[in-house]
Amino acid sequence: MGVMTLAGPPPALAPAAAPVLAVRDLVTTFETPNGTIRPVDGVSLAVAPGRTLGIVGESGCGKSMLSLSLMGLVPPPGRVAGGSVRLEGRELVGLPARALRAVRGNRVAMIFQEPMTSLNPVHTVGGQIVEAIRAHRRVPARRLRAEAVEALRQVRIPAPERRFDEYPHQLSGGMRQRVMIAMALACRPALLIADEPTTALDVTIQAQILDLLRDLQAETGMAIVLITHDLGVVAQVADEVAVMYAGRIVEHAPVGAIFDDPQHPYTIGLLGSMPRMEEDVARLVAIGGTVPPPFRLPPGCRFAPRCPFGDAACRERDPALAAVADGHAAACRKAPVEAHP
Amino acid sequence: MLRHVLQRLLLAVPVLLGVLLVGFLLMQVVPNDPAVVRAGPTATQDVIEGIRRDLGLDRPLWLQFALYLGRLARGDLGVSIINNMPVLEELGNTIGPTLELMLASLAWSVPLGIGLGTVGACWRGGLLDRAIMMVSVAGVSVPVFLLGLGLVWLLGFTFPVLPFSGRAGPLWTLEGLAGIILPALTLGGVFVGPVARMTRSAVLDVLGADHVRTARAKGLSETAVVLHHALRNALIPVVTLIGLQIGFLLGGAVVVESIFSWPGIGRLAVGAILSSDAPMAQGTIIILSVGFILVNLAVDVLYAVLDPRIREASGP
Repeated sequence: MGVMTLAGPPPALAPAAAPVLAVRDLVTTFETPNGTIRPVDGVSLAVAPGRTLGIVGESGCGKSMLSLSLMGLVPPPGRVAGGSVRLEGRELVGLPARALRAVRGNRVAMIFQEPMTSLNPVHTVGGQIVEAIRAHRRVPARRLRAEAVEALRQVRIPAPERRFDEYPHQLSGGMRQRVMIAMALACRPALLIADEPTTALDVTIQAQILDLLRDLQAETGMAIVLITHDLGVVAQVADEVAVMYAGRIVEHAPVGAIFDDPQHPYTIGLLGSMPRMEEDVARLVAIGGTVPPPFRLPPGCRFAPRCPFGDAACRERDPALAAVADGHAAACRKAPVEAHP
Repeated sequence: MLRHVLQRLLLAVPVLLGVLLVGFLLMQVVPNDPAVVRAGPTATQDVIEGIRRDLGLDRPLWLQFALYLGRLARGDLGVSIINNMPVLEELGNTIGPTLELMLASLAWSVPLGIGLGTVGACWRGGLLDRAIMMVSVAGVSVPVFLLGLGLVWLLGFTFPVLPFSGRAGPLWTLEGLAGIILPALTLGGVFVGPVARMTRSAVLDVLGADHVRTARAKGLSETAVVLHHALRNALIPVVTLIGLQIGFLLGGAVVVESIFSWPGIGRLAVGAILSSDAPMAQGTIIILSVGFILVNLAVDVLYAVLDPRIREASGP
């Protein structure tokens, strides 16, 4: 088929500027009674400053575990078992806990899906932001409040002076997510990992939060890794997209290519199950079956049992991520399904 | 907040009335006749009848109770049948030592229990955790009197380093301080276990919460995460438990005061009940109930201090 096989992201995707985040062959394992499972199994990706990488996939595909692995926050008994995570050129895997803490919340910050429960109910929002600032920056005590208020103002929270002294339960979901963003950005990180940041919010609030993230990215030049199951969100904010399935990246491409020219049958299936306003379809196409549990992975291509194009060969050999076009890679024996210039 | 406290105090009135009624009825059920007790073993039937009239014991039960309530409302708790001492005065003399004993017990057992529980939660499943839980279960299972007698035997007789009988003086004197160590160790000893277990499970619960993950994502040290985020939130259920357990602590105080001849309310209550001294027994019951009600009120107020969501709900 004349396809070049790659261990990492396709070279064409490697941006001219040094990437903020470069991940190679990341493996995260969990010891379970059923044996060792690998929710993240050989993931490679890179994000350049000021760019947004969307990671999409169904629930259970390993995308949240990937984000926790990047932060060094995999809950025990899980651990990052191999590979490399380089943040601004610095290797994070194997870093001692103290050194990792100095990076976490400082150079790389994270926001989560549930703004309702992600803030501590017994501390004021201001206090929680101050805590993030104090953990990493030498700011005189009398300046702390002003810094935190400024962080609240930056995320467009009205009356930030008053909000500083309020408790999370006094704020709406959207406001709480803004507080989370303010807290994450208080130390001006180079990379923001957003794990389903809008999933728990109303659609109108969702759009506001995404707009805010985009504006803040333009202001600060930070890179964003946006983890979501929502292709609509990806279309709105991502520059590049990595599609994840059963712990692996199965397709990686600029956002336009993913929507216009998807190569992996799984991506095609995901797009088919997304409602579109301009098309009048009677019925959405669903992908049959579910993501296989990590302790019962099928042999060969992990998507083969659900794949409409899969054949016997697919069930034997596990395809690697390979370039199908400039900056576009897919892990499928049958890709490219059509000729690319 | 003030309104909330006043509301709770008003709610305490019917509770107190109920306690008074039950206490009053219990004293009626006890087979000892106070008039006989008062008259002494050699008294004639006439004398006994006379005393019964004097004490109002010949009147119908409901009238006795009503008269009793009436006197109570005027602050008159009556006098002891045994020695004619005003009940109020006796209560005033004994409440100080009891409070002293309870506070001394709580002062060491609550911090220790919270500390042990937190350590256990942080090293969950480890050797330290298992050792702590074993000691806690043992602490819960050992009866107060056994612990007290064991301590007396060990530190009073075998290695006679501490006094174990009576209250030698106020706490700020060396003798007073030495005298309270064994009673406070005994009474607090049964308290450490439940507090440690409750703290452990509450901290474990909070450590799994989303906001703790957020705290870690901020790059806070594990100590800050545990103390400022996990333990702070876990204190809410722990305070509930402590409030409930203080009722049992009052019961334990009765035993401990008897073992160590501590001149407190508990010993007074036991003496009064054994000698059918109805007014005195009623007086101690009132004090113990009021104490229990006040502790629960304090727990309510503490909730509001610990949890801003409750502060809001209870209103200004």
